[in-house]
Amino acid sequence: MTAPRRYLALHLPAFATDRLRRAEPDLPQDVPLAIWASQGPRRLLSAVDLRAWAAGLRPGQALADAQAIAPDLLLRPADPEGDLRLLEGLALWARRYTPLAALDAPDGLLLDITGCDHLWGGEAALLAEAQERLWRAGFAVRGAVAGAAATAGALARAHGDGPVAPSGAEAEWVGPLSIAPALRLDPALLEQLGGLGLMTVADLLRLPRPGLARRFGVDLLDRLDALAGRRHAPLRPVLSPPDLGAARDLVEPIITRTAIDALLDRLLDQLCAKLRAAGRGARQVVLMAWRVDGAVQEVAIGTGTPLRAPAHLRHLFRDRLERLEPGLGFERMALEARVTEPMSGGLQSALAIGGRRDEAAAQLLAQLLDRLRQRVKVRRLAPRDGHWPERSVAALPLLAPMPEMPVGWVRPDAPVLLLRRPQPIEVVALLPDDPPALLRWRNRPHPVLRAEGPRRLEPEWWRGPGVARDYHQVALASGARLWLFRAGPPEAARWMLHGHLP
Amino acid sequence: MPPPPLPIAPPDTDPPGIDQQTLLAALRARVARLEGAGREGHGAAPIPVCEGLGLSGGGLARAALHEILAAEPGCGAAFAAMLLGRAGGTVLWIGAGAEALTAWPPGLARFGLLPANLILLRAAQWSDALWAMEEALRCPAVAGVLLAPDWAGDPAAQALDLTASRRLQLAAEAGGGIGLLLRPDMAEPPPSVAASRWRIAAQNAAGAGQGIGDPCWRLELLRQRGGRPGGPWTVTWRAAAGQIDRESEALEAESA
Repeated sequence: MTAPRRYLALHLPAFATDRLRRAEPDLPQDVPLAIWASQGPRRLLSAVDLRAWAAGLRPGQALADAQAIAPDLLLRPADPEGDLRLLEGLALWARRYTPLAALDAPDGLLLDITGCDHLWGGEAALLAEAQERLWRAGFAVRGAVAGAAATAGALARAHGDGPVAPSGAEAEWVGPLSIAPALRLDPALLEQLGGLGLMTVADLLRLPRPGLARRFGVDLLDRLDALAGRRHAPLRPVLSPPDLGAARDLVEPIITRTAIDALLDRLLDQLCAKLRAAGRGARQVVLMAWRVDGAVQEVAIGTGTPLRAPAHLRHLFRDRLERLEPGLGFERMALEARVTEPMSGGLQSALAIGGRRDEAAAQLLAQLLDRLRQRVKVRRLAPRDGHWPERSVAALPLLAPMPEMPVGWVRPDAPVLLLRRPQPIEVVALLPDDPPALLRWRNRPHPVLRAEGPRRLEPEWWRGPGVARDYHQVALASGARLWLFRAGPPEAARWMLHGHLP
Repeated sequence: MPPPPLPIAPPDTDPPGIDQQTLLAALRARVARLEGAGREGHGAAPIPVCEGLGLSGGGLARAALHEILAAEPGCGAAFAAMLLGRAGGTVLWIGAGAEALTAWPPGLARFGLLPANLILLRAAQWSDALWAMEEALRCPAVAGVLLAPDWAGDPAAQALDLTASRRLQLAAEAGGGIGLLLRPDMAEPPPSVAASRWRIAAQNAAGAGQGIGDPCWRLELLRQRGGRPGGPWTVTWRAAAGQIDRESEALEAESA
């Protein structure tokens, strides 16, 4: 039997204003701050900080009223996208505690800490640690731990003193909570419930379910069930957990490149040892760095073949580490192998490029391509049967074996360079079906000395309707040789330049 | 007893038997050694271009950088594809700039550069293209690398100074592959350390005939390390034989 899951919820009651104060450190601390948003024609407060709350301001008040109550009030417009971005950043930050960290929009986080708490000395200690760090980063925070995500979220919002509720007792714990913060219902429904004298969650839990559903909607029942631990909604983590990883916390934050390199070396050795033990190789590895101020930075590399050689991975990271901005230093770094593939015995499986038998050379080549892929586009094109030139090649995975060339694939009139998009060109032909006699190219007229064609290429019927193209090879007086086609109805045919012939 | 006669230094004149030709050859060999052309240690033969061009060493040296100035992109790409196909191994074709004109495997295969050996790279930035070229040349598993600038781009933004070309040359020496620079033709090409510099232009084949005929180029060797410049020659691509043929000199004189 699996252990019951445990969830940690963090609620940031003044998230929007805390974010503003972090972004604008010179805002005076002793002046109330509020954020407003337009709702139709009205401007309402959407968030207030503690000082503004103490002055009697509440979210939902009209802006004019608020200014009358607190004349020195600082006001800022709301920025929901900015809030969401920062919340996602915090969820990434919270991956230091567990790989399963999710948003609890608009102002909370939910962490699945099943099996993670012993690293921190218990659930209460983990909760205290997380709260402490967020508080130091400038956020007011409350938290709770419970056996269901919604329960933890409600306890964090409504209970206030960081409770750790045992699994299986959700209903008793949420019972005394008041409905408004625990269920997060919309104001109209709240008013209705209040009018009926229903103040706590326990009041609602006591009522017969069919009546509740009929009168207030199924949504309310769903929320109640989630709260009481009767119904488990899966957590949607900001990032799916990595296949394998290695991490290290630092007592002293590191800033210098030398220190980062040394740490990366140790992490790579650990990760590669784990990969070897698992018989896998990494295709994508991400270095995550937690900065002292709570920002999380990522550096990702991808490889063409599964890899677990620390030296090679180090080489791939070398150029990319410049992107890290240590600021005041990193306090934790982790390597995650986000994509892995089975890999046997330390050998590279794909040796297909150029039909090489030489394993060492194939390895060198695979490593080279991995390095190149970090900065430039690398591709291979495989022959394919297709009528039109654009369709006679197909992209091939870098290290896959090349299929045989179909018979007739190499045509004697194939251009060596192809225009990615055919380009209109002005052409004079004596008769509509004749090859060109004169064309205007690069702003100059060019008489055509020789021409060959037309060769008609029909569109592939299974791709839907299209227009046939009549291809011509022409040699200009200057010696240049071009590949043109004519397409369209006879009365309105257009000439297009499509390639350069040798 | 008198001591045996000490061996005396040879007189300060050329010993008889060493004629001027031999001396010149010895000097050339020494210069070549100094220039590093002898650092071929990879044991691979030079890449043949065409019979009767009088290349030093009999072809294009591997482990070196070569420059091709092409009047038209088509003929330059075809000539380069022929050389790279003869390099016999994995080839990286680096295109710089916007992706308007791309190397086309079915056409390159006509000149012996098969898709199985070809890897196409596209670098939006010129500096990235140079970096990719250097990295690729340094890899011993790569037989050849070609760098082609954006044909319609600004030549000043895609310049290759002496330092850059020296870096590429050193990378080629380290890796052992051949490096080709395919650039639009210019009147006064800037100096570079490339082992050879070619100029190629498409030409209309002499004589009347049906159809477009075989590709015909005017080829000129502007400079080569350890040898003399040569040409211009008129050459024709013979698809059946898979090689270029040089026209007889009489025909060349006529067409010139």
